[in-house]
Amino acid sequence: MSDRVAEASAVVGSRAVASGRAGATERVRAALPLVGLYAASVTVALALCALLVSSTGGSATRVFGALLDGSVRSPGAWGLTVTTAVPLLIVAVGTIVATKAGLVNIGQEGQLLLGAGAAAYVATRLHGPGAVVLTVSFAAAVAVGALWAGVAAVMKYTRAVPEVMSTLLLVFVAANLTNFGLTRKWLLLSRARVVNNTNSGQPLPAAARLPKIHVFGNTISWGVVLALALAGIAAVVVNRTVVGFRLRMLGLNARTARRAGVSAVTYGGAALAVSGGMAGLAGGVWLTSGIAGDRFTAGISSNLGWQGLLVALLARDQPATAVPMAFVFAALRTGSGFLSATGVERRIADVVQAMLVLALLVPPAVRAVQRRRAPKEVPA
Amino acid sequence: MVDTSGAGGRPPAPSVRLDGITKRYGAVVACDGVDLELRPGRIHGVLGENGAGKSTLMKILIGLVQPDEGSIAVGGQVVRIGDPTAAGQLGIAMVHQHYSLVDTLTVWENVVLGDRAGFDRAHARSRAADIGERYGLQVDPDAVVGDLTAGQRQRVEIIKCLRREPTIIVFDEPTSVLTPAESEQLFGVLRRVVSEEGRTVALVSHKLDEILHATDEITIMRGGRVVERLATADATAARLAQDMVGRPVSLRSEAAALGLVGELADDAASVEQADAHERAAAEQPVALRVEGAVVMGPHGRRLLDGLSLEVRPGEILGLAGVEGNGQRALVDALSGLLPLAAGTVDVAGARVATERPGAFHDAGVGIIPEDRHDSGCVLDMSVAENLVLAHPSLVAARGLVQRARLLDHARRLMAEFEIQAASPDAPMRSLSGGNQQRVVLARELSADPIVLVAAQPTRGLDVGAIEYMAAQLRRAAAAGVAVLLVSTELEEILSLAHRICVIFDGRIVGELARHEATPERLGLLLGGVAA
Amino acid sequence: MSGVGALWDVASSSILYASTARLAGLLAFAAVGEWVAEKAGTLNISIESMMLTGAFGAALGSDLSDNVVVALAFGLFAGLAVAWVQANLSHRLAANQFVVGLTLNVLAVGLTAYLNAQLKPDVHRVGVWRVPVLARIPLVGEALFAQSWLLYLLYPLVPALWWLVYRTRWGLEVRSVGENPQAADVSGIHVNRRRRQAVCVAGLCAGLSGSFLTLGLVGKFGADGVSGRGFIAIAAVIFGGWTLRGTVIGACVFGLFDALRLALPALGHPVNTQLLNALPYVMTLATMLVLARRGRQPGALARPFARGLT
Repeated sequence: MSDRVAEASAVVGSRAVASGRAGATERVRAALPLVGLYAASVTVALALCALLVSSTGGSATRVFGALLDGSVRSPGAWGLTVTTAVPLLIVAVGTIVATKAGLVNIGQEGQLLLGAGAAAYVATRLHGPGAVVLTVSFAAAVAVGALWAGVAAVMKYTRAVPEVMSTLLLVFVAANLTNFGLTRKWLLLSRARVVNNTNSGQPLPAAARLPKIHVFGNTISWGVVLALALAGIAAVVVNRTVVGFRLRMLGLNARTARRAGVSAVTYGGAALAVSGGMAGLAGGVWLTSGIAGDRFTAGISSNLGWQGLLVALLARDQPATAVPMAFVFAALRTGSGFLSATGVERRIADVVQAMLVLALLVPPAVRAVQRRRAPKEVPA
Repeated sequence: MVDTSGAGGRPPAPSVRLDGITKRYGAVVACDGVDLELRPGRIHGVLGENGAGKSTLMKILIGLVQPDEGSIAVGGQVVRIGDPTAAGQLGIAMVHQHYSLVDTLTVWENVVLGDRAGFDRAHARSRAADIGERYGLQVDPDAVVGDLTAGQRQRVEIIKCLRREPTIIVFDEPTSVLTPAESEQLFGVLRRVVSEEGRTVALVSHKLDEILHATDEITIMRGGRVVERLATADATAARLAQDMVGRPVSLRSEAAALGLVGELADDAASVEQADAHERAAAEQPVALRVEGAVVMGPHGRRLLDGLSLEVRPGEILGLAGVEGNGQRALVDALSGLLPLAAGTVDVAGARVATERPGAFHDAGVGIIPEDRHDSGCVLDMSVAENLVLAHPSLVAARGLVQRARLLDHARRLMAEFEIQAASPDAPMRSLSGGNQQRVVLARELSADPIVLVAAQPTRGLDVGAIEYMAAQLRRAAAAGVAVLLVSTELEEILSLAHRICVIFDGRIVGELARHEATPERLGLLLGGVAA
Repeated sequence: MSGVGALWDVASSSILYASTARLAGLLAFAAVGEWVAEKAGTLNISIESMMLTGAFGAALGSDLSDNVVVALAFGLFAGLAVAWVQANLSHRLAANQFVVGLTLNVLAVGLTAYLNAQLKPDVHRVGVWRVPVLARIPLVGEALFAQSWLLYLLYPLVPALWWLVYRTRWGLEVRSVGENPQAADVSGIHVNRRRRQAVCVAGLCAGLSGSFLTLGLVGKFGADGVSGRGFIAIAAVIFGGWTLRGTVIGACVFGLFDALRLALPALGHPVNTQLLNALPYVMTLATMLVLARRGRQPGALARPFARGLT
């Protein structure tokens, strides 16, 4: 191998020296086709959605109009969207930490659900001032989420079970565990009466609600401050600290990292626990945000975990990029809530969302393939 | 009729003609208007340093790389070779070093992998066995490839290649995994397929000995161009060396880099020097002591089987051995990457806690790993970051990496070790192999190691870089570092080592003072015959 | 003692056997397809969406044609369509296969629900066909051979896939690209093409599974019928240690749990369905704990391939 690698990298090396002084204008010019690709693929995706809607007897303009109304245009929609983006961002930030350590956690949905469950359990039992109730509930959410991801970590580091599979499978165990909790009054089931024939949780006390910020007629949960702070902290820790340095080393080359004294068990285990804890926290924040209903229900996670994971992956593991990405995903969620009010099957929003994700996925992939076919420049 | 007279007589029509082949990677031209003719019944040596473009040229011939310019004619017809399958249909095949085998499949499955013909188990198995028989390359067709030794795996590669009855066969640096005896056997097979079966063989190598010994005609490449074509009968080591490197070279001092065992074995002055060095070192306390090391591999195989060795400050201990005899396991164990099932390691008299990550580094063991991409550096981090991998705290304050100090540290080492990079922020991936190796060396030496383990430190480097590495190892030893040089290249061992141990099947089978080390004796030991 | 009583009631109930066969069949169709995809190196989590579109495609086909074969063809095509997208995005454009899979799952849920609401397809259920003689085998005859004939497609499918993977050149190449794509590449195999084809096989199998659900079991399009079963199919492959036999056994065991979940309350035994639901996943996790060290999973599972990357 080494011979070929050496030859190839020798070639790449001198190329880097040659292109290292490329000016900023050239960099912009190089980025232009990518922007064009993005525009084209998003347009195609939206056109396909419009085609689908109009060919099945709907009105595409009404659907897109409703999506926009529900997410940003109508009064108060901004606040709703931002509040919805909070759990997505928190999940994504946790995911980024795990990904930087080279771990593929795809079990956020379950971690989030259990976190919400733990927060609900604590919040409905603890009496005291709001700050205390919220803090303890969130701590419980973080702990349970971290514990759930920790199961995968233990399986990975003691028995070499790939975390991709264990985290995925644990999602469904978590879902069934919380469902079980909803059948027992000593766990999560409402102690009063059963609403609508479905098992639902005990209503949260008024103290266990995140305070709100009111801006220009929009109501935003204070969770947004928490989420942005976490994103900022994550960005600094990963990119600027010694711990982050070692974490990235582990993710990029585990063997070199081990030789350099980075324990995969410690760092990898911690990264998995952090990502699980964040997902759990997202569950707690979502539960108490005021727009997810007033109690824990089986469907409370409603794909927030999966979508948070997508936010992280589409943001290419950059906390800063994850912020707008979370907002876009949240807009599609809140927009779809508005759809049903207009009489259009609201599931079309899932289609729009998925098509947009695919559209965002294609351009960088196309670029990467082009680069491989004609290696004219060095990836920076 | 096939002309089997080797280099003499009227040359037969070429079976392959490469015309003006050019391949660019950005600003760099890997192949620059290369012409090459391969003739049936001849073994054609393609000689060149690493980076000379010979691998790229062969990849073009086999369809793995597409040329930017130039044409390829096979049997007089101009063809386009889009992928290895197309090459196969034209009768072109390549024996890869060891990349083309799938460990979990059996020998016969591997042999037929990639064929297009029908799929008949019984037939495929007996064919695999037959070909093995025909060339004296016996392997059990039902054995699982993952269980085979490096030498056996190469037999499978050759059988796989010959099964398709190719008319043109490319051997890419085939001897690195073989003992001298196995290499002889391989050259016997090569001679047979050209003289008895009239095939065309290209032997790609950077070793002068091999090229002089096994080929009929030679093409020498340098910097992407063909610099010389000649019949092997007219070639001398000195002339080949000069053409390959592009400047007059001293065969004696650069013999290791050029692959000339003969020049080294009887160099009385340097032998005496080495022995003198050894007598001085023997009075020092042991710096590295490995005692009864056992490392288990998959399928319960013992990669190291009770290996013991000692290295003293100031000496270079050469650990010679054919690839696949446990060298990788030893270096991995000394890097803390593989657990010891039994045995101990002491550095400067202190026991190393082998299972703790980073323990060896902390104990003062520096490593230049065999595959730097695997465990020597992080390709997607910057040069500056790669220079502080084990000790980021050197450039940090209160847990935060200080960028100014990081860059300072990098610039200092880059100057000291002459590392060529666009900037300290350049990604490690963008450096040439030689410069990556310098980064590894700079980092390991700057940590003031007690022991330096250098595993195949010059593999894949060009002659200049090899010389630099050799000088650095000598300098480290002179400064009192205990150097363990692990190499499959006898030339390297003979030119650098003060004392030589031979590893076979996970054990040390012989230890020689420098003056006892003749190529014959080493050859026997490498094959596991105790001296 | 009620637990023992329940078990006895259940074990003596031929309804349970029949229901197990149906639910196990539903899982097995998808699981054997997933097995092929994983053998080639794809952890294909969009199997769930392939089942879903397959189920809807079959419903649509049935509505349009009143013909089971046409409906089946629609189902297969719908599964294949999703597979084609997954295959090309992850093995041509090298997009992250989990992102693609998760997205396709969202897309399929939305698309089928939307189209179902707009088009409201009418499904003609396939009747039961008792296989002469075989249906009279004691204990298992009724369960295995007195079902919708769609289930019988599974019986030749399993050996056919085994033959395909272990006895054909295509299968050898599929195994090699899942195990060591670099080696397969230099041997002249088009790695990503084989992987795409394997994903497409999974799509066809999952389409068959969805069609069986719609045409053979439910008689209408029902997303609830799929919800999560694609993931159980993945669990079956892992549970089976990436062998075909193990995969089928996994599907049978998990089908039994499914049947128990439905049968126990019907037989008058209150049971904790949530914990029973979790059993397939817990058992798969436990199996992995025991077996993971043996490393029987394909060497390059879930790793993208690009020439030159090592």
